[in-house]
Amino acid sequence: MAKNFFALFKSGLVSLLALAVLLPQAQAQQPIRLGGIFIMSGAASVYGKFAQQGIQLAVDEINAAGGVLGRKLEFRIEDSQGKADVAIQAARKLVFQDRVDALLGLDSSGVATGLVPVMPELRRPLIITHAATPDATGKLCNRYTFRISVNVNQNMMAAAHVAADSGAKRWTTIGPDYAFGHQSWEYFSKYLKELKPDVELMKETAFPRFGNEDFTPFINSVMAAEPDGVLISVWGGDLVNFVRQARNLGFFDRDMQVLMTVGAATEVLSALGEDMPEGVWLGTRYWFDAHDNPVNQAFVKAYMKRYKTPPSYNAEGAYAAVYAYKAAMEKAGSADPEKVTEALSDLGFQAPNGEISFRAGDHQAVVGPTWGRAAAMNSDYGIRMLDPVRSFKGEDVTPSVEETGCRL
Amino acid sequence: MPSIIAALLNSLDIAMLLFVIAVGLNIIFGVLNIINFAHGGLYMLGAYFTYTLVGRLGLPFWPALLLAPLAVAAIAAVLERLVLYRVYGRHVTDSLLLTFALLLIIDEGVRMIWGSGIHVVRPPELLQGRVNFAGVSYPLYSAFVITSGVVLLAALWALFNRTRIGRVVRAAAIDRDMAQTIGINVPAVVTGVFAFGAWIAAIGGVVAAPMRAIDPGMGDKIIIESFIVVVIGGLGSFPGALLGALVLGLIHGFGGRYLPQINLVLPYIGMALVLLWRPHGLLGRRAAA
Repeated sequence: MAKNFFALFKSGLVSLLALAVLLPQAQAQQPIRLGGIFIMSGAASVYGKFAQQGIQLAVDEINAAGGVLGRKLEFRIEDSQGKADVAIQAARKLVFQDRVDALLGLDSSGVATGLVPVMPELRRPLIITHAATPDATGKLCNRYTFRISVNVNQNMMAAAHVAADSGAKRWTTIGPDYAFGHQSWEYFSKYLKELKPDVELMKETAFPRFGNEDFTPFINSVMAAEPDGVLISVWGGDLVNFVRQARNLGFFDRDMQVLMTVGAATEVLSALGEDMPEGVWLGTRYWFDAHDNPVNQAFVKAYMKRYKTPPSYNAEGAYAAVYAYKAAMEKAGSADPEKVTEALSDLGFQAPNGEISFRAGDHQAVVGPTWGRAAAMNSDYGIRMLDPVRSFKGEDVTPSVEETGCRL
Repeated sequence: MPSIIAALLNSLDIAMLLFVIAVGLNIIFGVLNIINFAHGGLYMLGAYFTYTLVGRLGLPFWPALLLAPLAVAAIAAVLERLVLYRVYGRHVTDSLLLTFALLLIIDEGVRMIWGSGIHVVRPPELLQGRVNFAGVSYPLYSAFVITSGVVLLAALWALFNRTRIGRVVRAAAIDRDMAQTIGINVPAVVTGVFAFGAWIAAIGGVVAAPMRAIDPGMGDKIIIESFIVVVIGGLGSFPGALLGALVLGLIHGFGGRYLPQINLVLPYIGMALVLLWRPHGLLGRRAAA
């Protein structure tokens, strides 16, 4: 028995040695690893779930077609919990422990503001797929950070156009009390004033805490100020709470233009169903029904087949980011992080929401949001559809690199 | 004037929900001597059961108000018998860690069963719409929340002060050994009290379901608010839970309306002031429950 064991041990040792010799050879065929950082727990975890599905779909499609540079793609997702410090820790783990070649994700402006400055230390490319703060490709911009999703400036430029065309004169806002809410109002005010110098941007604004459950006091105070138009940048579960409480208080019965900056997130629409009032303007970084191109048609079809629900903007951002990495790696002829980073800059490729490219000056994708009015219910999806729909072109809503404050 | 009345009514409906959660925390603390983090999870389970019964199975709201809390109470009784009883008599940090772990387990369990999506439940037909009250248009459902809070308050007061069950529970809270000696089955009382606290939390969850988004983070949010209530009112105090809830409700109702710039920190300022003035809370150190 003991002898047998020894023999086994010896042969094991020999094969281990053989493996060590062969390993450098095998390494060339190792998969390319992507690391995702999303909100996977708590109230906003549904956003992370959609992103994960988008990545999974893209990775499976690419692997089925032979991978990238003959290597398979693999991915791993870490939970940011929506907190900057947790996200930084997750990024370090992905890079140093799991040895990922590239990063993607980030669901909150707060997380982006914390993680973006750490990227030069990690030396991996990062494609932001959701977080919208202008700073990530503005004053905090760096060599490694890219953003494929619509940012606050782009979305607010489009919102300002919708607002200007609506004819409403007195505007106020209800938004979450952190960077996203305040910056949304700041840029909306700036752009709307440029388009329509005679509008009044009211002092009576409301910024409830993110994760606030009862919005009634804020809704009451905004209604008491009697605006003609309200910009609402509340998002996620908060927006679900807000809409239902506002509905109860008769907020939507007023003769008032209502713009929800990220209201057409399918995560929110499917929760609210018919409770989303008809006629309000809803913005989104991507609307599955608004892009008539083959890439989008194939994406929506494959997504619906697999997950039985239309893709949300977060699913699309994550899906497109995987394809952006594929394009960059093929352009660079390598998965080496430095070379991929270089290749991403000025890279143009076909995403579901159209032909997009990362500007060399600030690494922001030149993309535009979609806005539309909440219309009839689609009973198959259980969500309200948008009609009319306005898709904005990236060139029309993206401020110049000088304006962003980014120096690369 | 109408705006003040609106803020006041709004404060009351926030306060009543907080009271329902905090009073359960205090009852459990009074008898079991543990600070129950899992209370937020039990509240959330009440809301999710309501979603399943009303949103999925199409039952009316009223049977859900009866069934969901009973189901949660049963789960709580099992938890107490299997896990919680092991930490009685140990240092309070042990029970904090244990119930916090339970909260995390419930959070993840909810995500595994119901998914991470956001759900809503519609208010019953009877309670949709608005009423006019002193020149203020007020959602009928909020009026229902306030009414159920008051009814529960009265029922609990009567239970603890006017019935034999109440006396038995109070006896077990004041001196466990003596209660055991005079023939009270203390372990059964303890299980019953924990299940009862969970039942109240779940009622809060059912009542909250038609007005709040049901998502896997709702338990964490309410437990933090409820702890603020308990700290302000005094841990273990029945009237303290009411007072704390009213104070926090007023802070939210009027703070959001009139001091929106600092509404974020107001609850914590309120809590800090109370702690400086009365370290045991406004009504702390009274007889438990």
